[in-house]
Amino acid sequence: MSRLGLTALVACYLWLRVAPAVAYTPEVEFALNCQGCHLADGAGTPDAGVPALADSVARFLAVPGGREYLIRVPGVAQAPLADATLAAVVSWMLGRFDARHVPPDFRPYTADEVRRLRASPLVDVERVRASLLAELERSTR
Amino acid sequence: MTARRSWLDRALERGARRLARRTSRRSFLARLGSALVGAGTLPLLPVARARAADPARVAPPDDRNVTGPAGDPTSCEYWRHCAIDGFLCSCCGGTQSTCPPGTEMSPITWIGTCRNPGDGKDYIISYNDCCGASLCMRCRCTRTEGERPVYYTSKNNDLLWCFGTKSRAVHCSVAIVLGQATES
Repeated sequence: MSRLGLTALVACYLWLRVAPAVAYTPEVEFALNCQGCHLADGAGTPDAGVPALADSVARFLAVPGGREYLIRVPGVAQAPLADATLAAVVSWMLGRFDARHVPPDFRPYTADEVRRLRASPLVDVERVRASLLAELERSTR
Repeated sequence: MTARRSWLDRALERGARRLARRTSRRSFLARLGSALVGAGTLPLLPVARARAADPARVAPPDDRNVTGPAGDPTSCEYWRHCAIDGFLCSCCGGTQSTCPPGTEMSPITWIGTCRNPGDGKDYIISYNDCCGASLCMRCRCTRTEGERPVYYTSKNNDLLWCFGTKSRAVHCSVAIVLGQATES
């Protein structure tokens, strides 16, 4: 193979490694991966088992384990998105759908944090969710 | 069988030789190089940046710029249908974005992107099922661009998407443009 050809091949390979897939804005990633069920305005379809995000999702940040829950919940943990992208999408979602409940000291999720949390998925989602909501109820009473 | 294979071999060889005679490898490399660099720098252009600041929702692109079946909403080849699985509502008394009378559009959908051949841009497409009547049975299409196996339920189009509607009976499917797939 000619030197030029080899250089071009190596360049292609490196380019593909550095810029693998198209990187979309968090808003577009939300549309492609979440909005189908949670809907564009985050209203969800509670009757069909899809919880609302709007005016509700960031409330989980107020209880211990809530920040972790928002990444470990199956729809998030199993989304076909890279750790850094997922961190950006969930951080964006909180401000977009429930800015009122985002605590002032909220730190956006990081890729490392997401990687760690995704590695331990929730086995019994319903139970964890119920206990977090009960804790939330107690703390706001 | 042997005679047939040798005929195929000869034809392929002839084709390969003709291709090699007619194309310059260097010009191909030059073109590939500019395509790679061009594709990489495209999102830096001010147009993409301005769009990124915009909410995703835009008016759907004009289908008059698209020729052939890719511009025909009653065809499986229609550009918005790149990942549709079901009966086209545009053949069933509705349109490519509205349900036929007597059916209810499912709020829960499956979403992907399709490239519009008219402007070469990627658009976010929502495939909503129209529910509340029996299967339409006209214009059955199965296209699977960007579809994932069923364990990614939100990215699989073999599922019935009549959730959140009064009836679970699927009639047909629409393909709604939600916006342009803006890159970050």
